[in-house]
Amino acid sequence: MECVVQGIIETQHVEALEILLQGLCGVHRERLRIHELCLKSGPNLGLVASEVRVLCDLEQPEPTWIVRHIGGAMRGSGAEQISVLVRTMVESKVSKNVLRLFYALGYRLDHELLRVGFAFHFQRGASITVTVSSVNKMLKLHATDEAVPVTPGIQLVEVTAPASSENYSEVAAAVSSFCEYLAPLLHLSKPGTSTGVVPTAAAAAASLMSDAGVTT
Amino acid sequence: MPLKWVFHWQPNAGTTVNSQMINEVSQCVESINGVKEGRWKATLTFYKPMFRDQAVPAEYPRDFLGISLPEQPNRYYFIIRSQKIVLEADSSIQMIMEKLQSYKSRVSLTFEGFQYQLGDFQLRVGKVAPSASENLRGIVFEVEYLPLSSMEKSRQILDGFVEIWQEAMSKRSLPGHFMHIEPNFAEFGLSDHYTSQHTAVQYATVMAQLISAVQTAQGVRN
Repeated sequence: MECVVQGIIETQHVEALEILLQGLCGVHRERLRIHELCLKSGPNLGLVASEVRVLCDLEQPEPTWIVRHIGGAMRGSGAEQISVLVRTMVESKVSKNVLRLFYALGYRLDHELLRVGFAFHFQRGASITVTVSSVNKMLKLHATDEAVPVTPGIQLVEVTAPASSENYSEVAAAVSSFCEYLAPLLHLSKPGTSTGVVPTAAAAAASLMSDAGVTT
Repeated sequence: MPLKWVFHWQPNAGTTVNSQMINEVSQCVESINGVKEGRWKATLTFYKPMFRDQAVPAEYPRDFLGISLPEQPNRYYFIIRSQKIVLEADSSIQMIMEKLQSYKSRVSLTFEGFQYQLGDFQLRVGKVAPSASENLRGIVFEVEYLPLSSMEKSRQILDGFVEIWQEAMSKRSLPGHFMHIEPNFAEFGLSDHYTSQHTAVQYATVMAQLISAVQTAQGVRN
């Protein structure tokens, strides 16, 4: 399981967000360059249509591969009351021929993306990961070098934390309280319910930049 | 990791394996001074595709196999032998497969038995049986040469060992012999440097041999 919230920010304020995150987390950012391939089951395969993501970390000297399955979100009144999405998520590190295997099993490439940006991993009531990335699409199959932004000028911010059925409410609370610190720059909400950019972003960014001694 | 050769028992025509044979093989290992170390167990699971509409014909791999190995408890291996694919994954991949509901486990078999140490060699004797029953389907024998990982460099040493082993076995006059079929690892994209993926490919090869032996025996009976 994982707790997750998402938001968007204008690229011009990303540097300010990075300064804020750096201050809040006390750790250095990690560069992010992930090739994400979404595979869907072929017609008739499976009791239900299924979807699985194959992620290739291009930032490593030798690219590493992960299979990720994102399941349904938790439902019910309890889930509605919390401001983060709680969903099942299972990951497995795999060898590099994973695409060949899934194609042989009858899965087809639905779409692919390239996420470029940075991430912070830190402990704050839960093991939290914040990623800030521009989402790019490929004009030619697997051509990650020629990727172009899906939404120019806008970057995606995602805050996630692993959770279990025993501790998800504490993890959700930890994620929510962390998100409040980012509120002047961006608003984070459950995936699929985007609230757009926040009006205070420009002023908050300017203030952060001047506090950090960065001249723009 | 140290390389290994995996053998399977090839019974003489008209004979089958039984548990007495496993005792004989174990005694044979002890007769050449193998020291019993403990038990080992690997599990091989055949997966079959699930369809929403059974009436629609579909071509999907029939030899999709998942393997767990005792030396890599946190890893899991998928093999489609006909397409020369072997994949290494964290064992959580099994949970992902369950959630996808596109393939389900059809039958599981275990390779299970005792492990022995003999100088630089580690030997394993194991019975092959369906997980849910004690029905013996075959016998496997493994030789691992601990100091080396290169298959080519260790070939001569293993050939020498196997000669001694086959001679010791021949004194027991069992109705059959151990066979080693070395898969073409390069076809699976594997190098000379031995890994657990090589073991998975060897297990899949042994399994294919055991299945074809059963099918041949059934053909003879019919």
